[in-house]
Amino acid sequence: MDLPKQIELIFRENTPLAAKISDEIAKLTPKVIEKTGLDKIKIMNFCGSHEWTTTHYGLRALMPKEVELIPGPGCPVCVTPSSDIENMIKLAIDGYRVYTFGDAFRLPTVNHYKKDQIGSLAMAKAAGADVRIAYSFVDAIEDAKKDNKPSVFFGIGFETTSPSYAVLFAKGKVPKNLMFYSSIKLTAPAAEYAVKLHKATKRTPVSGVIGPGHVSTIIGAMSWDFFPVKYKIPAVVSGFEPIDVLTGVLVILKDLYTGDIKFTNLEYKRVTTIKGNLYAQEKIREVFDVVDAIWRGIGTIPKSGLDLNEKYSEYNARLQLGLKEKPWDYDLPPGCRCNEVTLGTAYPDECPLFMKACTPARPWGPCMVSMEGACAVWARFGSSQRVLEIIKEVKSNVLGSSG
Amino acid sequence: MCWAVPAKVVSIDSDFVATVDLGGNTLKKVAIGVDNLQVGDYVMVHAGVIIAKLTKQQVIENIKFIAEQIKEVAEIEGINPDEAVKSFMDAFSYILKDVEGESSGG
Ligand code: SF4
Repeated sequence: MDLPKQIELIFRENTPLAAKISDEIAKLTPKVIEKTGLDKIKIMNFCGSHEWTTTHYGLRALMPKEVELIPGPGCPVCVTPSSDIENMIKLAIDGYRVYTFGDAFRLPTVNHYKKDQIGSLAMAKAAGADVRIAYSFVDAIEDAKKDNKPSVFFGIGFETTSPSYAVLFAKGKVPKNLMFYSSIKLTAPAAEYAVKLHKATKRTPVSGVIGPGHVSTIIGAMSWDFFPVKYKIPAVVSGFEPIDVLTGVLVILKDLYTGDIKFTNLEYKRVTTIKGNLYAQEKIREVFDVVDAIWRGIGTIPKSGLDLNEKYSEYNARLQLGLKEKPWDYDLPPGCRCNEVTLGTAYPDECPLFMKACTPARPWGPCMVSMEGACAVWARFGSSQRVLEIIKEVKSNVLGSSG
Repeated sequence: MCWAVPAKVVSIDSDFVATVDLGGNTLKKVAIGVDNLQVGDYVMVHAGVIIAKLTKQQVIENIKFIAEQIKEVAEIEGINPDEAVKSFMDAFSYILKDVEGESSGG
C-alpha cells in the first residue's frame, strides 16, 4: 500500500477512531465547562480547508452543544481586495496578458470597469481580454516565455503559496515580460485580529485556535505560540483529515482543562515541524518585504502582507505600472456579510443573500467563489449540520441531557 | 487554491523544477520548495510548489501524538491510560502494522 493510501485509511476513513475521539470530546466537555466557568467553548479554525473538512464530514454534528466550531479568515481568495481585481481587469483590458489562479477568476469587484460592464476577470476574458488561468507560477512562466507578450501574474495566496513565487524569483527564472502583482497575505496577524475582535466586542471569546496546517509547514508551528503565551488560549496546528480536526478539538479541550497552556501543539506531524520549512523561509526573505495589507471587507491589517522587495522592483507591477490601491472604504457588494463570515462573527446562512441572490453558480460576494470560502463550503454541504445542531439543542432543552 | 495534495517525485528536472505524479499517472511540473529532494520521495504539493516531504516515520510520529493525547485524556477521566491507548491502537492496528513494516523494511 502506498503512503497516501495509508494516510487516507488512518486519518480519513477511520470511523472507529473518529467515534472514539468524539466520545472523548463528549466526556471531556462538561469537565472543561465546570473547571473554566465558560458556558461555550468557541474554537476558531483558520484554514478554508479546515472549514471544508469540518462541514463536509459533518464534524459540527459530532460536537457537544457547548462546543462551537467557527470559521476564521483563512481563505486568501475571499480576502483579496476588490481594488486588486479591478487593477487586474484594467491591465487585461489595456492589453496585458493576466495570469490568475482559477479561484480568483470569478471574484466579483464592487466597482465595475467601464459603465458597469466588467465586474470580474472572467467577464474581462469574455469581453476579449487575454486572461489565462494558471495552475501554478511555473506554468505561467513557461507560457509567458513562449511569445514575450507583456504579462502580469496575479499573485494571491498565503505563506503556503509564496515559496512558489520566491523560489523562482530567487533562481532568476522569471522572464522580463512577466511582472508580478502581489496580493499575498500573512496569516498570523489576521488570526490575531479576529481573536482580539471577539474579545473586544464582548462576544463569547475564542477559547482555542486550530492553526493552519500547510501555512505552518512553511512558517513552523511555533509561529502560533503567541496565542498560548500572550492570549492564554491553546493553539493546535492540525492536518486536514477528519481525524486531524477532531484531535485538534480534543487537544484544545484537554489544554483548557489542565490549564497547561504554554506552547502550540503540533498535531500535523506528518507534514509540519516546529520550525517549518527553513529553505522556503530563506527564499521568501530573499525576495519579499513584509508590508501592511488590505483584507477585503476588513481593512488594513499592519504587517500582514508580502510585496517584492527593492531587488525585484523591475518585476513589481504595482510600481512599474503605477497601479494605486484605492483607499479602503467598504469593498464588498451591497448586502454581503463576507467580512463577518471571515472573522467568525456570523455564519454564512445568517447572510440574507445566502443561497438566494448568492450561490456557487452565481456568487454575489467573494466568500461564495472559492471552494475554501466559508459560504461556498456551507452552500455545498453546510445546512444539514446546522439543522442537526438545532435538533440536538432542542432535544437537550426539552428532554434534558439524557435525551 | 489551498489544497495540498500528496504526490511522488518522478524526476528532478533542474535545481528548481521537478516532475511529480499526483496519482493515476497525472504528471505535473512543480517548483521545488524543499531541500535535498530525491526521485521517489513522497511530497506535498501546494499551488504548484513542493512544500514538504512526507515519510512513513512522520506518519508514525503523527499517530503517536494522537495516542499520547488519548492517554492524557484517559488520565483526566480516571480511566486506565494504557487500556485507552490499546483500544486506540486496536482501531487501526492493521494499517499501523503496514506502515511500520514498510518503514523498518527501508
Ligand atoms: S452568502 Fe454571498 S453575499 Fe452573503 S456573505 Fe456569503 S458571499 Fe457574501
